[in-house]
Amino acid sequence: MDRKALYTTFDHTADLGIIVTGTDLKDLFEKAAQSIIDIMFRKRPLNGIESIKVSLDGEDLADLMVRWLGEILYLFDAEQKIVSGIRIVKVKRTHLEAILDVAVFHPDHHEIATEIKAVTYHQIQVTQKPDGWSTRVIFDL
Amino acid sequence: MTNIVNTKIKKLDEYRWLLPKTGPMRVPGLIFSNEGLIKNLQKDQSLVQVANVASLPGIVGYSLAMPDIHWGYGFPIGGVAAFDLDEGIVSPGGVGYDINCGCRLMTTRLRADEIRPRIKDLVATLFRSIPSGVGTTGPVHLSKSEEARVAVQGAAWAVKAGFGHMEDLQRTEDGGCMEGADPSVLSSRAIQRGQKQLGTLGSGNHFLEIQVVDQIYDREKARAFNLTEGRITVFIHSGSRGFGHQICDDFLKEMHRDYAKGALSFPLPDRQLACAPLRSDLAKRYLAGMACAANYAWANRQVLMHLTRETLLSALEITPSELGMELLYDVCHNIAKKERHLVDGQKQLLCVHRKGATRALPPMHPLLPEIYRRTGQPVLIPGDMGRYSYVLSGSEGAMRESFGSSCHGAGRILSRTQAIKKAKGRAIYRELEDRGIFVQYRGRQTLKEEMPDAYKDVSLVVESVHGADLARKVARLRPLGVIKG
Repeated sequence: MDRKALYTTFDHTADLGIIVTGTDLKDLFEKAAQSIIDIMFRKRPLNGIESIKVSLDGEDLADLMVRWLGEILYLFDAEQKIVSGIRIVKVKRTHLEAILDVAVFHPDHHEIATEIKAVTYHQIQVTQKPDGWSTRVIFDL
Repeated sequence: MTNIVNTKIKKLDEYRWLLPKTGPMRVPGLIFSNEGLIKNLQKDQSLVQVANVASLPGIVGYSLAMPDIHWGYGFPIGGVAAFDLDEGIVSPGGVGYDINCGCRLMTTRLRADEIRPRIKDLVATLFRSIPSGVGTTGPVHLSKSEEARVAVQGAAWAVKAGFGHMEDLQRTEDGGCMEGADPSVLSSRAIQRGQKQLGTLGSGNHFLEIQVVDQIYDREKARAFNLTEGRITVFIHSGSRGFGHQICDDFLKEMHRDYAKGALSFPLPDRQLACAPLRSDLAKRYLAGMACAANYAWANRQVLMHLTRETLLSALEITPSELGMELLYDVCHNIAKKERHLVDGQKQLLCVHRKGATRALPPMHPLLPEIYRRTGQPVLIPGDMGRYSYVLSGSEGAMRESFGSSCHGAGRILSRTQAIKKAKGRAIYRELEDRGIFVQYRGRQTLKEEMPDAYKDVSLVVESVHGADLARKVARLRPLGVIKG
């Protein structure tokens, strides 16, 4: 999917904000994850070598979104793993389950585009619209 | 989450603007700035953030902003706020993800005319030997028990491990070690992220610069700081890496959970301002974890300094005494600290948050090491890679007005996307080379995002700080070579 269809960015003086929309919550969380991966990497693996099961609890959908995107950041920063595939198994207000296909980062084959330090709670929004769902997230760069 | 505050500011004098107390604000805001810089403030949301911070419980005096203020997340960048220990809170968002992000400046005996002809090679050599950029690992891989020692001992751990000298410690804020660090409060994720990143510069606005002392403003203090016109200095800007980010993240989430359960009895103006009462167990655990990250950052910059020294010695084939590299000072600019300040004529212990602000202690302050007792604390202010950085000294005005704080840098003026747009069709590398500045960088977009036009002119920021008597100008440094992640 081309990045323009995936998310739009908005300006923040020090950092970077994105707006993602989805037809339903599963679609929203999947697209948000694809968006952060797109921002972080220019060249990334097409296939994973391992599947990781993710189960997260949050206070509400906005908290869940921060934790979910933070999970992708953590996998890269701590374990040098790049997510190549995302399957959201289920998502409800305070709980998310997903399977992530991951490959190990290799500087000769993969290229980093932007370092994201953290997914912030600053002005975080997950909102229901007449035609689906939308989220607005600001990253600390 | 709505902000019902009026962000109309009132000019008090040449360097001070008041944000009057309105809506949920508990205290007014006070912005140190000047006519030239203040206009930019109206364009983003930083004044709303000053007001949001002013609404937090137990805030004392003013919600303060330094002249390099810009829109952050939660606190504005350049924000300073002090909280009463009984009534107040601590906010991880008021410290930031990069806990103890800070600056370290080294002086040398090298002359600029010796280095200029070799600067291109020197930058290339430093770029190879100093780990920078995303996903890089450092020269030391720490076992979990060793990492816990780094978290407790800070820069002293690095010195004991052979990175630098004992005398470096007295030239580091707090001796390079914050008390109260307790690794038992850390998550396994934080520990994992810290194991391989010690001795790495990082990316984004972090850098290492080879500079020349370009202008002296205060001869006596410059002499005490070992700054001589035409001599080479090395400036490092880095922090606590993924270790600090994870600690901030972990505690923000915990504070959120408590807030959702109704632990705080006030509306949060922004979720990033999640906080805990200073008296609570959660606040104590956060401060113990934050101290671990602060210590990790001091050890990190100590290791980076050592790598730089070793690289310069071998690249230039000179002896340590010919290089004469000495630490001038190391300051942190993202931190929360318990400090004594005068409030209504009484000394009071407060929790001072500095989010993109540098401590600036005046001469004779008891926390100063003997060598800087008469000059005041060196205050290190990096600018953008094309213009200048400054060395200032702490002044009395900071103790009266800003809880002993000063600015921390130039402050961004363009967002990263705006900067990339402005750089389109331009060879930033060549533009810098034409000014005699050689840059090596890792990220594709780094140079565009970090180009000089993306920042305010640091000279204007420093003039405001000097004019408001928060810190006084000592010397100006000009970049010759830059390494970016």
